[in-house]
Amino acid sequence: MRRAALVIVAVVVLVGLVALTGSRVPSVGAARPYEGQTIRAVVNAEYVKYSLTLVEKDLYDKLGVKIETEVIPADAFVAKTLLEFNSGTSPWDLVMFGPSNMPDYGRHFEPLEPWVEKLKLDFGMDDIVPVFAKVMLRFQGKLVSMPYDGDIHIMYWNKVAFERADNKKKFKAKYNYDLAAPKTWKQWDDTAEFFHGWGWDGSDRKLFGAGASYKPSGSGYSYHWWRQRFFAYGGNYFDANMKPLINTAAGVRALDEMVRTMPYYPPGVMLFESEEPKTLLVKGEIPLLHSWTSTGKRVGNPAESVIVGKAGFGLVPGAEIDGKVIHRPAITPGRGMAVSKYSKKKEVTMKVLEFISLPDQSLKIVMDAKTIMDPWRVSHLRSPIFRKAFPDADKYLDAIEATFPFLVPDPVIPAADEYQRKLSFEITEALAKRKSPKEALDNAAVEWEKVTDRRGRDKQKAQWGEKMAEMKALGIEYQPDWAAKAK
Amino acid sequence: MAIAIERPRVVARRAKRYRVQRGLAHLLTYLGLAAALVFFLGPFFWIVTTSLKGNEDFFAFPPVWIPPDPSLAHYVALFTRSSGARYFTNSLVISSLSMLAALVVSLPTAYAIARWRFGGGLLSAFLLVLRMLPAIALIIPIYIMCKMLGLTNSYLGLVALYTVVYIPFAVWLLVGFLRDFPVEIEEAAMIDGCSRLRALVQVVVPIIAPGMAVVALFAFIATWNEFLFAIVLTGIETKTMMVLVTSFTTGGTDMFYGEASASVVLGVLPAFAVAFMLQRYLVKGLALGGTKG
Repeated sequence: MRRAALVIVAVVVLVGLVALTGSRVPSVGAARPYEGQTIRAVVNAEYVKYSLTLVEKDLYDKLGVKIETEVIPADAFVAKTLLEFNSGTSPWDLVMFGPSNMPDYGRHFEPLEPWVEKLKLDFGMDDIVPVFAKVMLRFQGKLVSMPYDGDIHIMYWNKVAFERADNKKKFKAKYNYDLAAPKTWKQWDDTAEFFHGWGWDGSDRKLFGAGASYKPSGSGYSYHWWRQRFFAYGGNYFDANMKPLINTAAGVRALDEMVRTMPYYPPGVMLFESEEPKTLLVKGEIPLLHSWTSTGKRVGNPAESVIVGKAGFGLVPGAEIDGKVIHRPAITPGRGMAVSKYSKKKEVTMKVLEFISLPDQSLKIVMDAKTIMDPWRVSHLRSPIFRKAFPDADKYLDAIEATFPFLVPDPVIPAADEYQRKLSFEITEALAKRKSPKEALDNAAVEWEKVTDRRGRDKQKAQWGEKMAEMKALGIEYQPDWAAKAK
Repeated sequence: MAIAIERPRVVARRAKRYRVQRGLAHLLTYLGLAAALVFFLGPFFWIVTTSLKGNEDFFAFPPVWIPPDPSLAHYVALFTRSSGARYFTNSLVISSLSMLAALVVSLPTAYAIARWRFGGGLLSAFLLVLRMLPAIALIIPIYIMCKMLGLTNSYLGLVALYTVVYIPFAVWLLVGFLRDFPVEIEEAAMIDGCSRLRALVQVVVPIIAPGMAVVALFAFIATWNEFLFAIVLTGIETKTMMVLVTSFTTGGTDMFYGEASASVVLGVLPAFAVAFMLQRYLVKGLALGGTKG
């Protein structure tokens, strides 16, 4: 009798525990286990909001969750979101952020690993492009985010310009080497000079030499364009003691070249954000552009592009050092998604983060030209659907993959956003010829010192030390002699 | 004789030259005005037509100035996908309430200053000094205060803030009108049995209506176009139209050119409409208030 009572109690306890566990973690197999729940996401542009709509139907069908997305304009995004977080609250559950700002955001994010274990989540970590996995996702060693947009730069060229026999002949006569997609910055500048101001496509139009985005906005366009030359010439952001290296010979040479070649770019280039030069490229008005990988999807869109099937894709140029070309394309800067530490719906938000990161769901996002989101999974690059999405899509995806080993991250330390803004502003001052390149970069270095002092030199130094070691592991170190010998 | 014949010819020649010069002056004036119109209205015209174009016409060459098949698809998308209706309503509610609140609070304040020299002669000028503080300097303390009071992401927070921010200018303008208003008329109304409040509402207000229209107009336009406080203090439910416009037009001009243009058109139209309705008061009101203040 007593034993029977014990058995009954044990069974009741067991059933109770199962019921309790079941109520805490809804069975994934169940249809719409989170039916009726809505999470709030925050993103920095309408096109990012649009990208989430591409998966919302499947998300609802699978989990029963809806996403309500708030858009905060990009220029105010970091300030506004950090203001909310630093007040110890957050109206958002799912947070988009720029990975270069991880040191400022990271402490407000919920670590993912405990939830991976608890909810048996699968983020497909092995499928993430290694460089993104290494530099974009962790804060103080803990995994806190997933990539959402694999922003990097690759080079695009209009084959019509490069393959016309006339053009080849003229170029060879003028520069004494063959016309081809440039491999070094010197070749890029020669090519831009050569093509500027005439109808290189055989027409009588006055076309431009190359494209760029030099607007000094929060996204730091001119800074991205400068730093790809700067690193190729052996530059780095700081030395080990946080002394800025941006005004060294590498920085000055990079900026000097940009200033000197300004006449070969379209008028208004100083106001260009990302899309203007892309439009010039797809309309056949510039022969050369290095830009975000999303450009390739516009190149392949026959509704707007006149160079479908006529575009080349490759690595951003570099510098020839001792007979070897060193490429230093940029991570520019990408987007990540994380779960707010202050969210009251962490579990369901974790499930949403897992869902939107799934290979098939994220593929929908990165394939759609209107999202401007770029591939970040190896499976995106190998996807048979993506590789046939437009003529030469396979070559475009191969060029992206070929670029990954050479990428240079932003200075991922606290106040990364401030450092970038200050530098971007000064670069544009030089491009506008209000300051000499050296003077502009000296000013930026002074501003960087102020930011470092304000944030605490020792703290910054410690964080930069870690990043410098990471960059060293990627083969990126300050090389003071490269600026002089780079060809 | 010769002189007598010569004189009408000279006169006729001079008249002709005068007519030519006048015609030329008119021509140049109109050419200048036309150039100014093209300069100022050209971009707006382009935005309006872009908001009605199909996607394939955005980058067409030669440019499509007037879309062959105008469509409201971008407005529909703006209202459905980008919550445009909600933001538009928010802007309308916040701007209208702020405008009304500014009027209601400023009128008695200005009246006290104008009639009883409340706060000495310098109070209205001092109030104006408050307007000179850059908003960016106040934004963090205001955010913290609103957060503590639970006023972020609420109509009340923004309306209260805009009212406070706008009051100095409104008071300064209204003091000018009230000082100019003959006190004898007001006293006559009170002799006839009106209380001071009734005299203010039924006698003074109708006469200084142009001034109040100016205040209303400025308050509406200022709050409609305000961005900094709106971006910091609003949330998903209370975002305003200007925040929506900016979310389309910064951070990499995105692919939604049609919706971006539609948002700009909708962002500009209400302020434009209010200004248009009140414009006849505007010049009169500004002239009166500005010179007598």
